[in-house]
Amino acid sequence: MWKNTFFLFFILSACAEELCKPDASNGYKVRLSLKTALGDDAYTWNKNEMFLFQSTLAFAMRTSHTGQSYEISNIVVCNETDRVSFWFVVTSPGNPTELVENYIVEEAIRKSRHRINSAFLLTDKTLEFVGILPTLATPVSYDTPPWLIVFGVLMGIIVAGIIVLLASSIVKRKRKTRRTDEEEADEETRVKTMDNGVYNMSFSVEDKLTQM
Amino acid sequence: MEKDSRPKWDNPTQFLLACVSYAIGLGNVWRFPYLCQMHGGGGFLIPYLLMLFLEGLPLFCLELGIGQKMRQGSVGTFSSINPYLGGVGLASVMTSLYLCLYYNIINAWSFWYLFNSFQSVLPWAECPINTNRTGPVEECERSSPTQYFFFRETLDISSSIEVNGGVHTGQALCLLLAWVITYLFVVKGVKSTGKVVYFTATFPYFVLVIYLIRGVTLHGAANGIKYMFTPKLEQLANPTTWINAATQIFFSLGLGFGSLIAFASYNEYNNNFERQAIAVSLINSGTSIFASIVTFAIYGFKRCVCVTRLLLLNTFDIAEDNITLDTALDWVRELNMTYPEKFAEIADQLQTCDLEKELDTAVEGTGLAFIVYSEAITNMPLSQLWSVLYFFMLLMLGMGSMLGNITGVITPLRDFKFFSKMSNELLNGIVCLFCFLLGLGFSTPSGNYWFTMFNDYGASFSLLFIVFFESIAIVYIYGMKRFEKDMEDMVGHRPNWYWKIMWKVVSPLLLLVVITFYIVGYIQGGTPTYHAWKKDFDIKLHIV
Repeated sequence: MWKNTFFLFFILSACAEELCKPDASNGYKVRLSLKTALGDDAYTWNKNEMFLFQSTLAFAMRTSHTGQSYEISNIVVCNETDRVSFWFVVTSPGNPTELVENYIVEEAIRKSRHRINSAFLLTDKTLEFVGILPTLATPVSYDTPPWLIVFGVLMGIIVAGIIVLLASSIVKRKRKTRRTDEEEADEETRVKTMDNGVYNMSFSVEDKLTQM
Repeated sequence: MEKDSRPKWDNPTQFLLACVSYAIGLGNVWRFPYLCQMHGGGGFLIPYLLMLFLEGLPLFCLELGIGQKMRQGSVGTFSSINPYLGGVGLASVMTSLYLCLYYNIINAWSFWYLFNSFQSVLPWAECPINTNRTGPVEECERSSPTQYFFFRETLDISSSIEVNGGVHTGQALCLLLAWVITYLFVVKGVKSTGKVVYFTATFPYFVLVIYLIRGVTLHGAANGIKYMFTPKLEQLANPTTWINAATQIFFSLGLGFGSLIAFASYNEYNNNFERQAIAVSLINSGTSIFASIVTFAIYGFKRCVCVTRLLLLNTFDIAEDNITLDTALDWVRELNMTYPEKFAEIADQLQTCDLEKELDTAVEGTGLAFIVYSEAITNMPLSQLWSVLYFFMLLMLGMGSMLGNITGVITPLRDFKFFSKMSNELLNGIVCLFCFLLGLGFSTPSGNYWFTMFNDYGASFSLLFIVFFESIAIVYIYGMKRFEKDMEDMVGHRPNWYWKIMWKVVSPLLLLVVITFYIVGYIQGGTPTYHAWKKDFDIKLHIV
C-alpha cells in the first residue's frame, strides 16, 4: 500500500512539474525585489519563504474561489532563479492534473493583493506578478487643488503689500502739499512785515521761484 | 531741474546688486551648460572668456558710462548725443517691451511648479491614472511623467501653432501673480527696486551652493562633471563655437535692452562704474560656470543607469546584488557577448546611457529647467524641499531679470514729457497691466510655440544691431575724446589703452562679424521650423 501511495505521489508530482513550466498557459511569473524594497533589512529567500508564498496564494484562491478548498500542494512552483523570480501554476483541488484558468487566478490575486504584499513586507512594485496589473489606487482628488491655496495666500500678501505702499505714498504726498501750503502762508506773512522798510531781495527765499 | 530730483540708488551696492540680479538670469542656468557640453566641455571656456574680455566687458562698461553721464533712459541718452539717434533708444525700448511680454510667463511657470510642490507626492513624479483606472494615462506613458506634467498639465499644449483655445486658468493666475509681484518691486521706482535686489541677487547663490553639495553626493556626479570639463580642443576649430561664445556673452550680460543705461542713470555722478562693470561681468561669467557644474553634477547618469539595471535584472534573472549602478554598463557589454539572442530582444528598450546622447536631446531652455531638473529632483529624498528650493531660485533669477527689463521700458518712457508728468505708481501700473494683458496670449494652448518664437527671434538679432549702433554712436558720434573726459570727470581717471582699443576697434568689429554670421545663418536656414507636441504620436515632431 505504501508503495502504491508513494508511486501515485511520484506520478502526481511529476505531472505537476510538467504542468509548471516557463510561459505555461495558465501560469504566472512572480518577481520579488527584496533588496530594493527592504535594503539592509532584506531577508534571504529560501524554502521557508517559498512555503509562505504557496500558503498565501492558497489562501487567496480559497478566499476568491469560494467553495474550493485549495491546499499548498495545489500551488506548483518552478524555475526559481537568483533574481528571486519563479513561475507558478495552480492546480484544481478536485483534479490535480487540471490547471485552474488564469483569469480565476488573476482575480484571486487581485482581491488579496494587499494581504499577499503584507505577508512579505513588499509593495505592488517590489512583488510583481508579471501580467497582472495592480488595481490602482483612486487618485486623490482635492476639493480645492493645493496649488490654489498657496497661490491665494501669496497673492493676498502681495496685494496687501501693494495697497500699503500705495496708501503710504498718497498719505506722504498729501502731507507734503499741506506743508508747502503752510510754507507759502509763512512766506506771505514774512513779506508783509517788510512793508515798512525796503524789501531786500537778497534775503528772500528765491529757490522756489527760480529754476536752475 | 528734473535732474536734481531724479531718484537715486541708496548706495552703490544697490546698483551693483541690481546689475548682478539683472544679468544673472535663467540663461546662466539653462543655456551655458548646454553650450559648454556642445562645444567641447572645458575647452569652451577659452572662447567664452576671450569674448568676455574682447566684447562683453567693454560694451558693458560703455553702457554704464553713458547712462551715468547722461542720466536719462536710452531714448533720452541717444537723443542727447544726436537727435537723429533717438531711434536707437526707441529700438531698445521695443526690444525690452518684447522681452517683458514673454519673459514673465517663465516666472508664471516657476510659480506653477512651486505651488504644486506642496503636495505629498510631486505631481510630476508619477503618471496620473486614466479614467478606467486600468493604467496610467496613455499620453503620459508614451513620454514620461515630467514631460507630461509640463506639456499637458502646465501648458495644455496644442498640436500646432495654429490650433488655439482658451486661456489656461492656472497659467493665467500665475502670470497675474508674476506681474503683481513685478509691480510691487518697481512701484516706487528705484527706491523699491533697490531694496528688492539685495534678496534677488543673493538668494540664487545660496540655493546653488546647497544644490552643489547635494549634487556631488549623488551617484554619477563625478562622471558628469568630469565629462563636462574634459576639454575637447578640436571644437575650437569650428567657427560656430566662437560665434556661440560671442552671442552667449552678449545676451548673458543683457546689453542693448536699455536696462543698464536706465540703472546707471540713477547713479551718483561720481560712481566708479568702471570697477563695477568689471565686477558684474566677472560675477556673471563665474555664475554661469558654477551653475553648469551644479547642472552636470545633478543630472549625471543616474536615471538612465537605474532603468538599464532593472531591465537587465528582470530579463536575465540575475540576483539584485550582482548588478549595481556602477557595474550596470559593464554588465551590458558582458551580457551582450554571452547571450546575444536574448540581448537582441531587449536591445531596443535599452537606452545607451551615454551622457553625450542624453544631453543631446535638447537639454537647454525650458526643457532643461522644467523637465530634466524636475526629474532629477524626484529621484532625491525629500523631493518636495528640493523642488521648492529650486523653483524659488528660478523665480529669483527670473524676477531679477524682469526688474531690469521693466526698468528698461519705464525709464525711457519717463524721458518723454507726456509720461514724466504721471506719478511713478500710475505709469508703472499701466505698463505692467499692458504687458500682463498681452502676455495672456502665452498662456493659451499654442502659447508655448509663440513663446519659442519670441524667445528665439524676438530679441536676438535686433540686439546685436542695436548695440552695434550704440557703440558707433558713443565712440564716433559722441566722440571718444568727449567720453574720455566725461569718464575722468566721473571716475577720476581716463580710460586706459585696453578700453580704448576695445571700444574703438575690437568690439564693433566683433559685433559686425557676429551680425554677418547671423544674416548668413538666416539666409541659409530656410523656413524656420519648430518642434510640436503631438498628443497621439510619439513625443515630438518637426513641423514647418
